[in-house]
Amino acid sequence: MALLLRTFTRQGTCLFRPQFGILCRHAVPMGTTANEEMNTFWAKNNKLNRPMSPHLTIYKWSMPMMMSITHRGTGVGLSGGISAFALLALVLPGNYPYYLDLIHSLSVGPALLSLAKFGIAFPVSYHTLNGIRHLFWDSGKGFKIPEVYRSGYVVIVLSILTSIAAIGYM
Amino acid sequence: MAAIVRISSVCHRGGKLLFYRSSLLARPLVTQQKDQDRSYPLTARIHGSSSLRAAGSVSKAASLHWTGERVVSVLLLALGPAAYYFPGPAVDYSLAAALTLHGHWGIGQVLTDYVHGEPKIKMANAGLFLLSTVTFAGLCYFNYNDVGICKAVALLWSK
Repeated sequence: MALLLRTFTRQGTCLFRPQFGILCRHAVPMGTTANEEMNTFWAKNNKLNRPMSPHLTIYKWSMPMMMSITHRGTGVGLSGGISAFALLALVLPGNYPYYLDLIHSLSVGPALLSLAKFGIAFPVSYHTLNGIRHLFWDSGKGFKIPEVYRSGYVVIVLSILTSIAAIGYM
Repeated sequence: MAAIVRISSVCHRGGKLLFYRSSLLARPLVTQQKDQDRSYPLTARIHGSSSLRAAGSVSKAASLHWTGERVVSVLLLALGPAAYYFPGPAVDYSLAAALTLHGHWGIGQVLTDYVHGEPKIKMANAGLFLLSTVTFAGLCYFNYNDVGICKAVALLWSK
């Protein structure tokens, strides 16, 4: 009997008559999806003009939190940079070496040059290394809090080192 | 009915409680069914079942999307050393594709997190799709008509 009930429940059907509604109660699944419920939540809050509770301003910032938003920030920044590059490639008249020579002729100076190289290398390096850290999490490893902090420090240190090494290269 | 009777026979107090609770819960449903269940069978009125199946396929799509994101991430990771040791058109176009797709899906997640409300979500995703298309077109154009991504990075760094 229980087996019968379970089979029908899983398929979401109920072949019983109304007076056995008490059994059908278990066979009626949720009517809304999580997405629908979320949208209802936001629509109601927006309509009532409810203020948002303070969260980022009151919660104590931790290293994993900062690393996470930095990962997102570098990702968005790099993506924007690539899109900007692609757009310029489509729109600007000259070719790449022409514009590179243009930038060369500005004679920026070694300090600013190194800073610019670091400014490009660090986001790439950090996002890549933290991305590897993310992939480890995706495989299920490294979730213990000491491990999270340790891998985080490794990513930060390696990012800085590889970026500095990239400046020195060539 | 029999299931509940059996439960109450196995565990007397708990079973009674279960019976009362479930019968109380079931009562509104029973009356609702009596009122509305006239013209069509009960199976059609399990309104949850169609959204349950839809939710199942949505869940499957989301799961595949997640896996796809990780696959592209690993591919992009491999393209790094590939671009360094084997620069050329094959890596150039692969980089264009992998970078654009990884960025598209990444920004998509950012939009999902911060944009709410059905029309705003649609607009934002449409804008992102346009941006990603232009990005991919621009990178391919650069690969075809100009020095290519690998050479561009090499030239930039030789400053």
